[in-house]
Amino acid sequence: MNPQWQNRAASRRRDPRGRDYISVKDYCFWFGQAQVLKGLNLDMQKGSVTAFIGPSGCGKSTLLRSFNRLNELNPQARHRGDIAIEGLSIYDPAVEVISLRKRVGMVFQKSNPFPKSIYENVVYSLRVAGENNKSILDEVAENSLRSAALWEEVKDRLGESAFSLSLGQMQRLCIARAIANEPEVILMDEPCSALDPIATAKIEELIHELKVKYTIIIVTHNMQQAARVSDSTAFFYTGNLIEYNKTQEIFLNPQNDKTEAYVSGRSG
Amino acid sequence: MKNQSQSHHRTLERFQVSRRIGWFDRFMNHFIVVGGLMVIAAVMGIFVFIFLQVAPLFHGAEVKLLSRHKLTDTVDSVVAVDLDEWGELPVLIQKDGSLRYRDLKGDRGIIENGQVFQAGETLSSIHYNSLNRLLVAGSNSGRFAYAKVGYRPEYDSLSVRTVHPDVTRSDWFDLSGKGERILFVDYGEGDSNKLAVGICLDSEGNRHVRAVSLEQDLSLFGEGGKISLGARFDLTEAIDQAIQQIDVAPDGGLVLIVAENGEVFVFFNQGGKLELGQRFEPFGDLPDRRVGGADFLLGDTSAVFTGWEGENRVYSLSLDRDKGKRLYARTKEFEPMPELPEGYFPGVRNNSFLLVGNHHASLRFSTTESIRWQRNFEFEIIRGLIGEKYDRLGFLDRTGTFHLFHLRDPHPQAGLRAFLGKVRYEGQAEPDYVWQSTGGTDDFEPKLSLVPLIIGSLKGTLYAMLFAAPIALLGALYTSQFLHPKWRDHVKPTMEIMASLPSVVLGFMAALWLAPLLDTRVPSLLLVLLGVPCATLACNWCWGQLPHRVRTSIPAGLEFLLLSPIILITCILCWKAGPLAEEILFVVTNPETGERVADFRLWWPEFTGATYTQRNSLVVGFMMGFAVIPVIFSIAEDSLSNVPKSLRSGSLALGASRWQTAVNIVLPTASPGIISALLIGISRALGETMIVVMATGNTPLKDFNIFSGMRALSANIVVEFPQAPFQGTLYRTLFLGALTLFIMTFIINTMAEVLRQHLRNRYKAVR
Repeated sequence: MNPQWQNRAASRRRDPRGRDYISVKDYCFWFGQAQVLKGLNLDMQKGSVTAFIGPSGCGKSTLLRSFNRLNELNPQARHRGDIAIEGLSIYDPAVEVISLRKRVGMVFQKSNPFPKSIYENVVYSLRVAGENNKSILDEVAENSLRSAALWEEVKDRLGESAFSLSLGQMQRLCIARAIANEPEVILMDEPCSALDPIATAKIEELIHELKVKYTIIIVTHNMQQAARVSDSTAFFYTGNLIEYNKTQEIFLNPQNDKTEAYVSGRSG
Repeated sequence: MKNQSQSHHRTLERFQVSRRIGWFDRFMNHFIVVGGLMVIAAVMGIFVFIFLQVAPLFHGAEVKLLSRHKLTDTVDSVVAVDLDEWGELPVLIQKDGSLRYRDLKGDRGIIENGQVFQAGETLSSIHYNSLNRLLVAGSNSGRFAYAKVGYRPEYDSLSVRTVHPDVTRSDWFDLSGKGERILFVDYGEGDSNKLAVGICLDSEGNRHVRAVSLEQDLSLFGEGGKISLGARFDLTEAIDQAIQQIDVAPDGGLVLIVAENGEVFVFFNQGGKLELGQRFEPFGDLPDRRVGGADFLLGDTSAVFTGWEGENRVYSLSLDRDKGKRLYARTKEFEPMPELPEGYFPGVRNNSFLLVGNHHASLRFSTTESIRWQRNFEFEIIRGLIGEKYDRLGFLDRTGTFHLFHLRDPHPQAGLRAFLGKVRYEGQAEPDYVWQSTGGTDDFEPKLSLVPLIIGSLKGTLYAMLFAAPIALLGALYTSQFLHPKWRDHVKPTMEIMASLPSVVLGFMAALWLAPLLDTRVPSLLLVLLGVPCATLACNWCWGQLPHRVRTSIPAGLEFLLLSPIILITCILCWKAGPLAEEILFVVTNPETGERVADFRLWWPEFTGATYTQRNSLVVGFMMGFAVIPVIFSIAEDSLSNVPKSLRSGSLALGASRWQTAVNIVLPTASPGIISALLIGISRALGETMIVVMATGNTPLKDFNIFSGMRALSANIVVEFPQAPFQGTLYRTLFLGALTLFIMTFIINTMAEVLRQHLRNRYKAVR
């Protein structure tokens, strides 16, 4: 981690807002002329699983990709407002995007293993960070694959191409790859949308295990999934945060009509 | 009920495809299939055409019987048989100096010419030289004369040709000077030398080798003036062996005297002297060293020797570096004749010669060391001949019958050995790869080695790719991975405009602008090549040292705006500093004036031993690079841009930098496309013609020296085709060059395609 960041984080830890691990403040976002997010405010707790739900195009994925500033790959992206992790703005000029992304890992909707071996996929983040010590790499690879519940299935074929895996295994490989980087936050963008129910169940199980160590934000279209895995749920609609509460509350006792219509399947 | 069926019927109709659409669909299907097949057929057609043009180069000679004619009953009195250039009037040369013609075309039958040499002398020897058609006679009184056995065509009003004998005879000249009887005499005459050498028998039974040169008064109108006796030589002392044979070169420049023990004495006729210049044994390495026969080939520099076991070697004059003069050295060795060669008959059109022995005849070609044709006849061959146009073969058999054959061998100089092997041409000290298709003289040998041209093509391609590949690939990588998209949208169309520059314009610029510019500024260019990467690296290092806050103030993808002026300034500085560097590094002593001068053009040959020319490979590489860069750039950029975004995001999301992502993820994934880009670039450079033609001196060289020119296969076709007669050897050889180019491209394509498939399997990404 960036030492600068560490100092700042330590100094802000006493900040009363510090208990809100990730805080989004008046966050607006545009792609060119189109405003995608319209002044969002929400805080997330450390070690929790937050689900983002809402109809397609509501901005939940955009918000998710803002946490690691991956939206900036699009040159037309603009924002206003702020996102802070542990009290330090991710847009602080002192923050290097690279160290932010090391801190905030991501799992994509479509599994995207690199055209390399399973092993090299897992240790990629260490390699780019300059780590080439074989014993460290081996250890990290094994631990990450174990954490992603993939070790038993691939331990004998680490040298094989990542494309030899099934779709569900590939997605868990991507999770292992993200874990190997030892992030604090893991962003998951509809991680199960391309998977069959058995693979989905495995991933959900994994999320349960991972939330002990990591703060997880998951975007999903699957209400049951949101209900099963998350502690809190945020419902977005056309770029606005409509409702954000404990998952149980959102599903059993929604305060807003739109939320109720969406979670009960009447709109969306 | 009726209603129901009607609606049912209507439903069926609704789902039916309309006739028109179906018909059109079928038509288009067939149209596309036929079109595709025609394209394949056209490509195959071109290939087959080129192949058919090239194939005759590798055929041997075709020999077909034309006619048989009884010429004489007394073959023992025949000295030689010869034929006019149209193959209509063969002549028998007989021992008494009489000529007997036979009209094969008209109705004149046998024409007896009677004795050529007038009375007053008793003939004691007669010898016919078929290379220059000279009949040389010696007399009992020690005198000799020669006659030119020529032909004269006559055309009547209907342009029908009748060939008449045209024999001109010289005066008698005294060879011996002492009235000795001549046993043998040979004579050769060229522009500067006229030399007769013979063996005389004196009254005491001793043999003397005597020689005499003739001198001709020069007349004002270039016609031959009066010929008179010149210097006289006695070679008897110089030859300590029993003499077997004497051969005067057709141009009178030297004489070969073959001794019975197999030694050959060479006397050079130079500066009014006839001196023993060399003694050698053509078959000195064999158990039987004796020489069966010796005679000259067309061009006076090569002599053909046959051994007693049918061996056949050619010795040629070439400069011996140790002794500093031209000496005979073995240049060719042919397969032995199955029969002992008894007759040797040279061709007067090229380096072919005919060896006959008993029933066997063998047509050989000296340059390529090949047997063009051979055959065993049922008749016994006494004499033979090769037609003047290399289109007839004639044989006189034991019964006095003349067998005339049609010879079809359009490309004797061709063959795999001539095209791809080292060949020792006349006058060369070593076998070598040489391309020199045309020359000034009649007896010029076309030298058709494709090797210098292939090397030229590869050389041009190599230097073009050395220049173009790094720039194009790095440019594509930068544009697709780092450059701001707003700028990226402008870069690609610009590069495509660059690709559309006609290569003739580039070649013109290279020849008339770039070559003279670079000629004196090579040190500047070297400095630029060194300075720009150094400046870039230095800038990058400084950039890395700047605080993060400053670095983020420049949007990603626009950093080049800062770097460009620095590179520009570096270029200008390096260019200006070139002469200074020259002063320091490239100082050399001018061989002409002895002064110390700073001149790279002199320094390079002095330092490396290689040549320096203004239109060199550097210029070609530079300009051809310009033609190739857009091609490579455009394809490489496409394949780099087509790497799935998910892979890039995945790598970036793991904390990899843009550079790490580009190198570790994007490049390997795009590698099949990059290989394609390079391959198409190489193919473009290999086939590129105009730039190579205009920007080089088109000298067929065999080195990879960057400061010398070259001649590429493609350029060769352009340069030579005006001189290539339809279906001649050169014409077909140019097609062979085209085929070679095609094969080279084919090999490179295939190799690259295999590599590409391999990479594709390895780096295929889930999309």
